[in-house]
Amino acid sequence: MKAKGRVATKRGGAAFRRPGGARFEERFLESFSNADGPSGWEAPVRELVVEAVRDHVDELSVDAMGNLVAHVSPARGGAKAARGKRGRGPHVMLCAHMDEVGFMVTAVEKDGRLRIRKVGGIDPRILLGQVVRVGTNGARGVVGVLPAHLLTNADMTKVTPIEDLFLDIGASSREEALQAISLGDLVAFDTTYEAWGTVRKGKAFDDRVGCAVLASLVQRRPPVPLTAVWAVQEEIGLRGAAAAARRVSPDLAIVLEGTASGETPGASPEEMQPRMGGGPTLTVQDRSLMADARLVELLERTAKRWKIPTQWKRPGVGGTDAGRIALSGAGVPAAVVSVACRYIHAPAAYLDIRDPQRVVDLVWHALGAIGKEWT
Amino acid sequence: MEKRATRPARGDGKDEWSTDEWLRHLTALPGVAGHEHISHRAIEDAFGVFADRVERDRIGNVYGWIEGTGTAPRPRAMLAAHTDRIGFLISRIEKGGYLRVVAVGGFDPRTLPAKEVVIHAKPPVVAVFGTKPPHLQKRGEAEKVTPFEELYLDTGLPEAVVRRRVPVGTLVMLRQKPVGLLKSRLASPGMDDRAGVAVLVRTLQALRSRRPAWDVIAVGTVEEEDGQICLGARTSAERLRPEIGIAIDVSHGDMPGTREGDTVPLGGGPALCMGANIHPVVFEGLRGAARSAGVPFSVEVSPASSGTDAMDIQIASLGVATGVLGVPCRYMHTGVEVVEPRDVDRTASLLAHYLAGLEPDWRAVEVLK
Repeated sequence: MKAKGRVATKRGGAAFRRPGGARFEERFLESFSNADGPSGWEAPVRELVVEAVRDHVDELSVDAMGNLVAHVSPARGGAKAARGKRGRGPHVMLCAHMDEVGFMVTAVEKDGRLRIRKVGGIDPRILLGQVVRVGTNGARGVVGVLPAHLLTNADMTKVTPIEDLFLDIGASSREEALQAISLGDLVAFDTTYEAWGTVRKGKAFDDRVGCAVLASLVQRRPPVPLTAVWAVQEEIGLRGAAAAARRVSPDLAIVLEGTASGETPGASPEEMQPRMGGGPTLTVQDRSLMADARLVELLERTAKRWKIPTQWKRPGVGGTDAGRIALSGAGVPAAVVSVACRYIHAPAAYLDIRDPQRVVDLVWHALGAIGKEWT
Repeated sequence: MEKRATRPARGDGKDEWSTDEWLRHLTALPGVAGHEHISHRAIEDAFGVFADRVERDRIGNVYGWIEGTGTAPRPRAMLAAHTDRIGFLISRIEKGGYLRVVAVGGFDPRTLPAKEVVIHAKPPVVAVFGTKPPHLQKRGEAEKVTPFEELYLDTGLPEAVVRRRVPVGTLVMLRQKPVGLLKSRLASPGMDDRAGVAVLVRTLQALRSRRPAWDVIAVGTVEEEDGQICLGARTSAERLRPEIGIAIDVSHGDMPGTREGDTVPLGGGPALCMGANIHPVVFEGLRGAARSAGVPFSVEVSPASSGTDAMDIQIASLGVATGVLGVPCRYMHTGVEVVEPRDVDRTASLLAHYLAGLEPDWRAVEVLK
């Protein structure tokens, strides 16, 4: 089901240069967030990314797993060092994953109810009474729950495991259900992107915000040879990036993520980190990665120089594609720059729209610094 | 008693609305017990499309009258559907701008995490019941239900903005646009009891062209969901002194995991309740009307309390002969109450058929000697 082969395009005309670096395109975030792409079924998101970047990159291809790989050569007069994929400066891989957590329809019961299993990490406690999109034909379903009137207080203190949940799409029989959906259909939260103040609400900001940051960055010719990877299957074991990194074989890599904000009422100041709106979040270490210390230092120094606020991700929490990329080939120095989002892996996540622009700025300037000094 | 002039609302197309359109319109109107006024105007307009006249009393009950063809003084039949729905009120604003709420009506706390809400401040503010992502949870945390007291709302806005814009006591409603399912079924919060209000509108519509001998008064009642009594039902019945009072509410639709007798089939037509809260003659009359009009129905047995406005209508005034009809509804008191619009239509046509056939001289009190 995956589109294969090359959808390459040559970028024509002079590069548009913005003095401050690239601009974060919120329209990318909105369209990527509204699209559905649980792990393994990222095509709808990939089509939007292709649309967003095809006129701005030199090469564009989809690999056997479904990763979207774009190469952009530096502008003339970029970094001088004579190495890297196209000769000027170290070859940098930037990576964001297209997939999101969701569900798959595993059975259709005689009475028309659907059974589901999760794809990626989802807390079963957020599902009762939730509205979801099923398959690609516009079917909607609700996660059924017995009304409080028919339950005891003891019933209401029990968490229903996902295997015991069912989706009601309005069908009264298996036949009726199968006219609208199919076994194996993917299920995504039915959330629409919205904005108020600097708050942006949407689903799958982990990692559509990274996808949008990356699509924004390649709108301009970078200072170093750059390969942008929109990866698949991150949420089910960092799988797409593992294959992509081997093919790209970069000199170093930066992963762009949407990460979990620690903010909850009553949390200690330490637990609150990172905060939504607190600027790019840098990783020292997580469950998949020891970030490359030189790269982290370069990012930190670049942020200081350009007066971009940064914050630290709490060590030991979560894992990212950077862990897999770091292990590929002879090893790749890797780091992670994230946007702190509240309520990731849930139907409605929040982010502060100033943060992705700051990530764009930081990565852009870091690419410049890498071109000048990375050896 | 505040009386309002008849407001002819015809001409804006509502007289041609489908039941699906009515349900989408009525479920979009906010209002918990005590806060029904926020949607009074819309309920008055809805009744006004078909009623001869529309009134509202001081506590907020809305009345839509259809005048009978009998000679005055005519007996009255009252139809009641409650206009309040379950929701929340802001109780506290915490450090960081997080909001705590109290529930008005019975929620299962398990159905709330990660749901969106609208805080009805001016202008309204959107928020979500905050949850901790799996990445940050301690081992075993996902096996424990978060009790209601620990749930919080997050607007994403800075604390100072929240404090300026959201006063304590502000009304909060679950935020979920109606979702169309297969077989024209509709999932939305507030079907309890806006589906009943839709039945009233449809019944008024049917009675315009099929006048009963009796006066029929559709009442949108206040404060059913909160407290020990159904305030609006009691006071409106006291005022109207009807011979017959019929409550139209929602009944539990068939769901897996329920016992036989607890539910009625969705799409199977209205539930006709029987039990102590229902006058046997009214029950028989409704059942007979359903049979003669060819309306499918289920019988729902409620031995003691029907849990509807009929509880208070029955003991109001000098005692009222009551009936209860239920529109089948799945997942009651959640953000995805599912109703089949056809059941609303069938409930209304059954009511119209029953009311049009009422004998002009029937009285609830039988004089024996």
